[in-house]
Amino acid sequence: MDRPLLVGAVAYTPNVVPIWEGIRDYFAGGPAEMDFVLFSNYGRQVDALIDGTIDVAWNTNLAWVRTVLQTQGKCQALAMRDTDLKFRTVFAARAGSGFTGLADLRGRRVALGSRDSAQAAILPVQYLREAGLDDEDVELVRLDSDIGKHGDTGRSELDAIRVLLDEDADAVALGINTWDAIGADELMGDALEAFWTSPAYCHCNFTALDSLPPERYGLWVEQLLAMSWDEPEHRRIMELEGLERAWAKPDLARYASLFKAVEDQGISARW
Amino acid sequence: MVTSGIVLDLVERVGGAVAGSLVEVPAAATDADLIGRWCERAGHRLVAVEDGVARIRRGPFPDDAAVLASVPAERRPGARLWIYTNFDCNLACDYCCAKSSPKAERKAIGPELIERLVAEGADHGVTEVFLTGGEPFLLLDLDRIVHACVERAPTTLLTNGMLFRGRRLDMLKAMPREGLALQISLDSATPGLHDRHRGAGSWQRALDGIRTAVGEGFRVRVAATVAAGESGADEARAFHALLDEVGIDRDDQVIRPIAQRGFAEDGVALTVESLIPEVTVTADGVWWHPVAAEHEDQLVTRDLFPLGAAIEQVRRRFAEYRRESDTAAQRFTCA
Repeated sequence: MDRPLLVGAVAYTPNVVPIWEGIRDYFAGGPAEMDFVLFSNYGRQVDALIDGTIDVAWNTNLAWVRTVLQTQGKCQALAMRDTDLKFRTVFAARAGSGFTGLADLRGRRVALGSRDSAQAAILPVQYLREAGLDDEDVELVRLDSDIGKHGDTGRSELDAIRVLLDEDADAVALGINTWDAIGADELMGDALEAFWTSPAYCHCNFTALDSLPPERYGLWVEQLLAMSWDEPEHRRIMELEGLERAWAKPDLARYASLFKAVEDQGISARW
Repeated sequence: MVTSGIVLDLVERVGGAVAGSLVEVPAAATDADLIGRWCERAGHRLVAVEDGVARIRRGPFPDDAAVLASVPAERRPGARLWIYTNFDCNLACDYCCAKSSPKAERKAIGPELIERLVAEGADHGVTEVFLTGGEPFLLLDLDRIVHACVERAPTTLLTNGMLFRGRRLDMLKAMPREGLALQISLDSATPGLHDRHRGAGSWQRALDGIRTAVGEGFRVRVAATVAAGESGADEARAFHALLDEVGIDRDDQVIRPIAQRGFAEDGVALTVESLIPEVTVTADGVWWHPVAAEHEDQLVTRDLFPLGAAIEQVRRRFAEYRRESDTAAQRFTCA
């Protein structure tokens, strides 16, 4: 039997350990056993994928883009969460701002999360440009609180909201997951209001080099997709990992906006 | 603005904490309602808001189904149904957890109620029935009881094996071989230890009973109940050698410790919180586990029916205890 598939993940929260131990246990004793390695940041993880230290990387969307750029496309996305298929960015302001769209931000200050966060920095800048607002039209207030983790901790977005509430910014850009976590509509309605939501785009995926043969990952992907929300033991892991109900096959077309943003903004292909 | 800020603190501190851990977040008493609503929405548990601090147990918490799924299917609460057919016994063992003896009140449930119990049990997930006492073979309608149980689920009948004579031997012979196992107590490979706890001559009669049951084609499981210090390797070896010779399968040779219940003054202390429950019915009620039937601390309900409600209650309470103990294990880590 082949050695277990080695999957890399970034340790952005202590819960990463029970999550991956749970996933490893799920595969244990089956036809596609796996183990995992934790990294402190996505740059190091992508390096390890490319140099063959790990077989598969649990990548953010920016880590996926960078892997594609560094390997000249010689990589593949194996699977993702259902929630990764419909990620969005929310622009919010203090309640009563009167903003109705991104064009209203001309001459305003916009608080962004860490500059390597696709949802809270890279794509928001792209959305502003698409709305006709260039760098000189909007003052960007950057909160680089968790560089290296591509915004996974959510901390930079929380810092950005604090800046907004302190009136040191007029608007903030957040991932939909952070917007949901603060229960903004329900719990912070007197303080915050969303005024623009982006189209859906893809977030994380399991990335492998295209040199990884199908017999190494095929059964693993099949078994991953078979994980069931209705199985209590599976559900606990899926809940912690932020799935809604199921693992899913990737939709690569939904990375197009991020590829364009990385190119337009001249963001480095590495780190 | 102040009340909104607390939500950001909650997301940052609780969201970044280990699942199951207790997180403290500075908070005013006036924030308690908002904190409670956030916890409910996010799947965490607000423990208290006092002295300027909100204490929150970080979720997600496994639901009852998840807790039950963590127990092997055959040990899952509600899978096993124990029925104390009666409490009187021809022996008066000094460690009997049911305090059975020739002087004990019979307190028989009777075949009609047992038929209803196993039928309801089977409808609520019971997959295995255990009949115990007392000595069930004191009952002259035991064959009817056994047939009713075997019709619904694989059944184990616990007996001291000493009464296989005359009418009771006929009753034994009339019992089904399929779906029925006899569990006979034999505490040692030689008479000394067994007879010390159970009475002179009882070892030989039990061994004779085992041979009779095996000879009649029954599956026989032999269980030794031993005190600490009595279960040495030499004794265990001799015990297995004897039972191998009698023809008992190795998987059916069981050595278990004395439980600190009933007549036993020493033994393993067993509590509701420490036992995986095995729903147990006596004429007086439904209990948490067969080692503590008739002990008030392990009473589930005095009502035998509906049995399904009692089984569900046991499952719910077990899930709650298990969640609490998992939390406690995190609280009391030593290193």
